[in-house]
Amino acid sequence: MIDYKGVDFGTILRRYDIEAQNETTPEAVAKKMLPADPVLKNVAECVLYMKFKDVGPATAEALKTHKALDIINNGLVVGMECVAKLYAEHIYYLPEIMMAAKTMEIGIALAEKQIPGGRETKGTVVMHAAEGDPHDIGKNIAAVMMRSSGYEIIDMGKDVAVVDVVAKVKEVKPIMVTGTALMTTTMTAFPRAAEILVKDGISLPFMAAGGAVNRDFAESFDLGIYSEKAPQTPPIADKIIAGYDWKRIRDEWESIVGGE
Amino acid sequence: MAVTRYTKMAYGSADEMVFGTAKQPVSYGFGIKVGAGRVIPELNYAPRPGSEKDPAKLRKEYVDYISKDVLNRAVTLGFPDVQLETEWVSQMGNPKMSTPVVEGQKEICEKFHEEYGINCAVRHTIPDQREAEEGLRTGMGGSHAYPEALFRAAEVACESGADVLSCETMGGKELADYAVTNGDITAFLFGVGYLGSIDMEYVWSEFVDIAKKNKAVAGGDTNCSGANVSMFMAGGYLDNDVQRTFSAVTRAISAARTLVAWECGAAGPDKDCGYEGPIAKAIAGKPCAQEGKNCQCAHADLQGNLMAQVCDLWSNESVEYHPEFGGSSVQCWLGSLGYEVSLMNTAIATGQDKTLRDLYMISDRARGPEGYVLAYDNAYKIGQAIAENGNDLYLRAKAAGLTAAKIIKGGYEGKEIQLTNKQLDVLNAVIKELEALPEETDKFTEYCAKKYADLVPNFNMKNYGL
Repeated sequence: MIDYKGVDFGTILRRYDIEAQNETTPEAVAKKMLPADPVLKNVAECVLYMKFKDVGPATAEALKTHKALDIINNGLVVGMECVAKLYAEHIYYLPEIMMAAKTMEIGIALAEKQIPGGRETKGTVVMHAAEGDPHDIGKNIAAVMMRSSGYEIIDMGKDVAVVDVVAKVKEVKPIMVTGTALMTTTMTAFPRAAEILVKDGISLPFMAAGGAVNRDFAESFDLGIYSEKAPQTPPIADKIIAGYDWKRIRDEWESIVGGE
Repeated sequence: MAVTRYTKMAYGSADEMVFGTAKQPVSYGFGIKVGAGRVIPELNYAPRPGSEKDPAKLRKEYVDYISKDVLNRAVTLGFPDVQLETEWVSQMGNPKMSTPVVEGQKEICEKFHEEYGINCAVRHTIPDQREAEEGLRTGMGGSHAYPEALFRAAEVACESGADVLSCETMGGKELADYAVTNGDITAFLFGVGYLGSIDMEYVWSEFVDIAKKNKAVAGGDTNCSGANVSMFMAGGYLDNDVQRTFSAVTRAISAARTLVAWECGAAGPDKDCGYEGPIAKAIAGKPCAQEGKNCQCAHADLQGNLMAQVCDLWSNESVEYHPEFGGSSVQCWLGSLGYEVSLMNTAIATGQDKTLRDLYMISDRARGPEGYVLAYDNAYKIGQAIAENGNDLYLRAKAAGLTAAKIIKGGYEGKEIQLTNKQLDVLNAVIKELEALPEETDKFTEYCAKKYADLVPNFNMKNYGL
């Protein structure tokens, strides 16, 4: 082997990841966000530090003194908001999001039992991976992020036939339907489904996403909107709740996914 | 078909390995000899959306446009060899869609070979659409009957004229997806290293028989559905989903799985997207296809030069067929591949192959942990760990992962590769976790079967005959 001892790799490549690493601790970021109430803080910290074994007892303890909705909105959800902030600042990564979401869901399930009729979600979203496409990891990640943001998710899985997607939309009347595709020959299922929906008089945003899909394709058919990465899905859904239709989402896409 | 495990290394040392030469070269198609002293460009492509609508359109796209364009450009630029790779779109599971494509590509290769003398062949990579929730094995039911369709596709490909049969099998994917998104290295080891290897044996024993019966070459597989998901989610310097130390360890584990196709009798070359190729080649001596710097149309990874170090076929991964300024996309990327291959073959012809190999490797050695463990000297060490435990699917995969993790740790401590604090934390956690696992396969299986029963959707031991 050629002797490379003493080679200055800094002249060959630049490790931007090393230079840009955020050395702030989760504690420092969360300090400004956590609730002052010690009971709610304890619940929020269970989510923040992914203590899925502790979140049940902490929620049960909180239910003795606090209303269930208060615990959810000002404890569990705040903990998840801290996690989202840490993810955005490259202190937490995907596994922390997944584990924190799981922890939050345990707490919510327990607290929800105390709410007559269950907790109201922000809205229902139907998610699927395209017909003929077995790749659904992106959809699964987005589903976790959407649930963490307060949406009810109907996950139809992968390789879902166009007719089944259309039928489900008609059945549950979601605020949005999403489809992911990793292959260019399967993503053509999305305009086919959207065309049937339009023909049947249904107008809702049809989010097209996944490795094969780009914004140009997603916006090439009526109803189509785009999501480049899973974390962009909740802010787009929030705008739909706020009254945006698919055309306005397209028009303001950059500012929506940029968090403005 | 009997399975013969690798317990010894094909190469006596890492330094013996170089691009263009494999211990066991393979010949097929119209004059193609892989691993026999020169590197061959392998061009992969995807048809335009809409071309999958009917058999005539699809055949025209693959044969009259794509294949003809590639072969024409190869002759135009003076490339002596070219291999085409058709990764079947899902619609080709229907023989009415696939048969005309396979037959048509064979015919056009023969025509160009006869007219110009160019060496050419087609690899057909059939789709594995099996889903864990419906069953991975034949007869397990499921509305789609995907396991039956998988073997039927292999037969259609080989009967219709495929030169090389390949596949990107999905065994272990349900656990791999969970492992990558949750940072759970044990789940990856169990899903890919152990169960995935069992599934490979199930699938490739059959593929090898089908290929032999039809005088096709059973090439090999890749852990695209696991280690590549891990690698691409780990991404580059701006990405923040998966730690690159984690993905590097998953890559090493995947080598133990990819090896199984060859243990079942497949001859190589394995699949281009199997970045674990250098490890598998070090153990088995069979030719490997790789991709890197000339596959930017499909993948951006952190070891674009390094991956050329010991390749036998050099690939572009895939490009959608469309026009570019320099011709069609397949022509442009063939040019990119072909000139790189020409450089490698010039290095071989002038006795400079090991120098070029080392330059490829050194340029990416410190770019990221995955490239670091795949550098041929480190890949060889991981290969040794697998071979030393070759008869036990679990122990060899664990040894691969642990060896890779310790190689990275050593490189970090020796100041050869930098890691972020987070990458280092995850690396230390991976080492600790792997070291704490049982030494006995039965205990490990029992532990994992219980642990992941409720955690991993669609996990079913029956899919693996257990």
